[in-house]
Amino acid sequence: MIAIVAYGLGNVQAIANIYRRLNVEARLVSTSEELRAADRIVLPGVGSFDWAMEALARSGLRETLDELVMGERRSVLGICVGMQMMARKSEEGTSAGLGWIDAEVKRLPQADGLMLPHMGWNDVEPRAASPLFEGLDTDARFYFLHSYYFLPNDEGVVIAAADYGKQFACAVQSGNVYGAQFHPEKSHGWGIRLLKNFAEM
Amino acid sequence: MLRPRIIPCLLVHNGGLVKTCRFAEPAYVGDPVNAVRIFNEKEVDELFVADIDASVRGAEPDYSLIANLAAECRMPLAYAGGVRTVEQVERIVALGVEKVAIGAAAIATPEFVTAAAGKVGSQSIAVVADVRKAVDRYEVFTHNGARAARRTAEELAAWAEQAGAGEVIVNNIDRDGMMTGYDLDLVERCRQATGLPITVLGGAASLGDIARLIARFPIIGAAAGSLFVFKGKYRAVLINYPDRTAKTRLMGTGSGKVEPR
Amino acid sequence: MTERAYRICVSCVMDTSDSAIVFDEHGVCDHCRTFETRIRPGWHTDARARAELDGIVARIEAAGKGRDFDCIIGVSGGIDSSYLTWLAKTELGLRPLVFHVDAGWNSQEAVNNIERLIEHLGLDLYTHVIDWEEMRDLQLAFFKSGVSHIDTPQDHAFFATMYKFAEEHGVRHILTGANYSTECVRNPLEWMYYQSDAIQLRDIHKRFGTRALVKFPTTSILRHKVYLPYVKGIRVERPLNYMPYHKEEAIRLLTEKFGWQPYPQKHFESRFTRFYEGYWLPTRFGYDTRRVQFSSLILTGQMTREEALKKLESPAYDPETIAHDKEFVATKLGISVEEIESFHSMPKKTYRDYRSQSSIYAIGAPLMRLLGLELGGKR
Repeated sequence: MIAIVAYGLGNVQAIANIYRRLNVEARLVSTSEELRAADRIVLPGVGSFDWAMEALARSGLRETLDELVMGERRSVLGICVGMQMMARKSEEGTSAGLGWIDAEVKRLPQADGLMLPHMGWNDVEPRAASPLFEGLDTDARFYFLHSYYFLPNDEGVVIAAADYGKQFACAVQSGNVYGAQFHPEKSHGWGIRLLKNFAEM
Repeated sequence: MLRPRIIPCLLVHNGGLVKTCRFAEPAYVGDPVNAVRIFNEKEVDELFVADIDASVRGAEPDYSLIANLAAECRMPLAYAGGVRTVEQVERIVALGVEKVAIGAAAIATPEFVTAAAGKVGSQSIAVVADVRKAVDRYEVFTHNGARAARRTAEELAAWAEQAGAGEVIVNNIDRDGMMTGYDLDLVERCRQATGLPITVLGGAASLGDIARLIARFPIIGAAAGSLFVFKGKYRAVLINYPDRTAKTRLMGTGSGKVEPR
Repeated sequence: MTERAYRICVSCVMDTSDSAIVFDEHGVCDHCRTFETRIRPGWHTDARARAELDGIVARIEAAGKGRDFDCIIGVSGGIDSSYLTWLAKTELGLRPLVFHVDAGWNSQEAVNNIERLIEHLGLDLYTHVIDWEEMRDLQLAFFKSGVSHIDTPQDHAFFATMYKFAEEHGVRHILTGANYSTECVRNPLEWMYYQSDAIQLRDIHKRFGTRALVKFPTTSILRHKVYLPYVKGIRVERPLNYMPYHKEEAIRLLTEKFGWQPYPQKHFESRFTRFYEGYWLPTRFGYDTRRVQFSSLILTGQMTREEALKKLESPAYDPETIAHDKEFVATKLGISVEEIESFHSMPKKTYRDYRSQSSIYAIGAPLMRLLGLELGGKR
């Protein structure tokens, strides 16, 4: 069973709908108890870093998440700000992140009059053969909407890169912790495939 | 390579979809949910839904409609209509809407834009400029074109970036529903005024108009209402959108490199 | 009253789910006999028929001279109306206006198919959009009435709108894709009654509707079978009956020519009809419209009885998607899935439980046949 963390933001309904149509058991969870029942966890997110961290704190799920993800090593997929929250900190705000991956979140450099936020459909290049990108090795594209990017200390966690002003990590994996900077729940067939992969890998 | 976005724009009036001409004479187009479904299946890049009553009436946005649309959309959704407070913005974003577009409130209470962006992030806040051409200036109006805002499109675009918004949506009142092409001069002025992503709406009559816009501005949002909703000389309602092949042709051989300011 | 023992026709696949079915001493049902004795003798698809069609075409062209279009073709996005449109333009040389009624349930394939049709054939399109709030209320009224013909609002709106348009614009000729080839066996009255019965529609609306029917278009049987043709001279033609019409070939032709998208089953252009015929009718009433469609194809040599029986072994709906389809219908109608399910278990009613013009139909149908104006007909 996939737990979609409902902590007040992120398109939880769209993710739930996708899983329902795929006949994958998924539930919106807002209590620790419901969260514990999950095999895998999706942590969605839209909005600013601090706003998201605050919402997560208010939800009362933070401790259980840490326990399940870092303690019991259950698989988790962070989406957009959900992925950024998994870093230690972000230039966008002052809150501390979850620290599940040794990384920082920095603002995309605005050289050459680059438009920010990075908004729209962009190509994604899977790097290592990650089960998350099964069937998505060629012609994969997803919708991006962000001004900050994930910068891990260890390049080895990068499983896919995208190019906007600079090459940056748009998907990462550190053990059981996965992150996607783009919005798979808003990326039509490509996103559906990725979410399916996360459920089945 | 980042692609330009091709965006159907749906207007909601009394809970139903309508299409206007120069912001007047709303013609009934049907049920929003079915339209969104069909656009979903056509894999559109992004959808823009504007509630044309909300601003004028000062009413709350129709959250239940927004929730239904957001849950149905497999692509990003931007919503506009009657958004005036940070609480409303937070609520709409929490329903699963990627971007909230602010029009009248950006003029009336500009600090609200900054406050909202501070909460939900710049990427989720767009400023809408409804404009009319007056001699050589593009003047901004609010309340479905009824009230003059006393500033130009470029001024609003430049200000939007300072205020913390993440996108500027330029809506051409004169060309709304007229299908006489995009006003590229207006786009150029806004492009010069801001480094924010820009979406243009009003006037697109054919995929050719979109192609011309993209050829001149390789990274842009090309939005259209009539084009994706009507067909032919009787303006018959028929939801349509270019398929992948047609879209690739539209985008030409652009390198995707951003234009220097 | 004892339940009738199950029996199926030896020739087609109609069975006792049609409670009015009658079998002869060979086990052949009355649908088949009606086809053999009343339809087939009068239905020609050879040179003689072609000559007749040419005459009709000439009349249409003459009446339409100097006008933007000479006839209207009602299209749903389905194969019959799509093929007819292609035929009318490319083979018959007519200048049709493609006419579509949007009742809010168009599938993506239907919309796509209509678009491809008009783009490739260079035809004009006119769409009438039914007011959704009224449509929704009327559909819910039909659910609440407990009858089996709950798709009446869509069908009724389609015909009413087309006739209204024809009358208002002085269009004398309407072409429809109705055909014997795939429709010689009709849905039993018990299953779908007459969609054109405005008295029934209004009575059900009066009892179960919650808002006035103001914009919703209505027609009536006398209006479009008597008044419009004989007083206003508006004729409805069925060109597909004047030539050999093979459904599979038609699909292949359109798919090859302009990327037409086939549907899994007849009438699936509308997401509501898909739900209604695929799920609602079979599971609530035991009426499977595939029996009717396959029987027509069997009688016209486009399907074998074995093939039909095999297909009928699996459900008419897709078990993978039915939960989602139900949800879609419920959400769109603004009710919960629980409410839909409560309608599903309501006591069953028939058209006789509400006011109707069935007596007029009872006189009119045989009269039309007697006058040679129609072959076959519903029962």
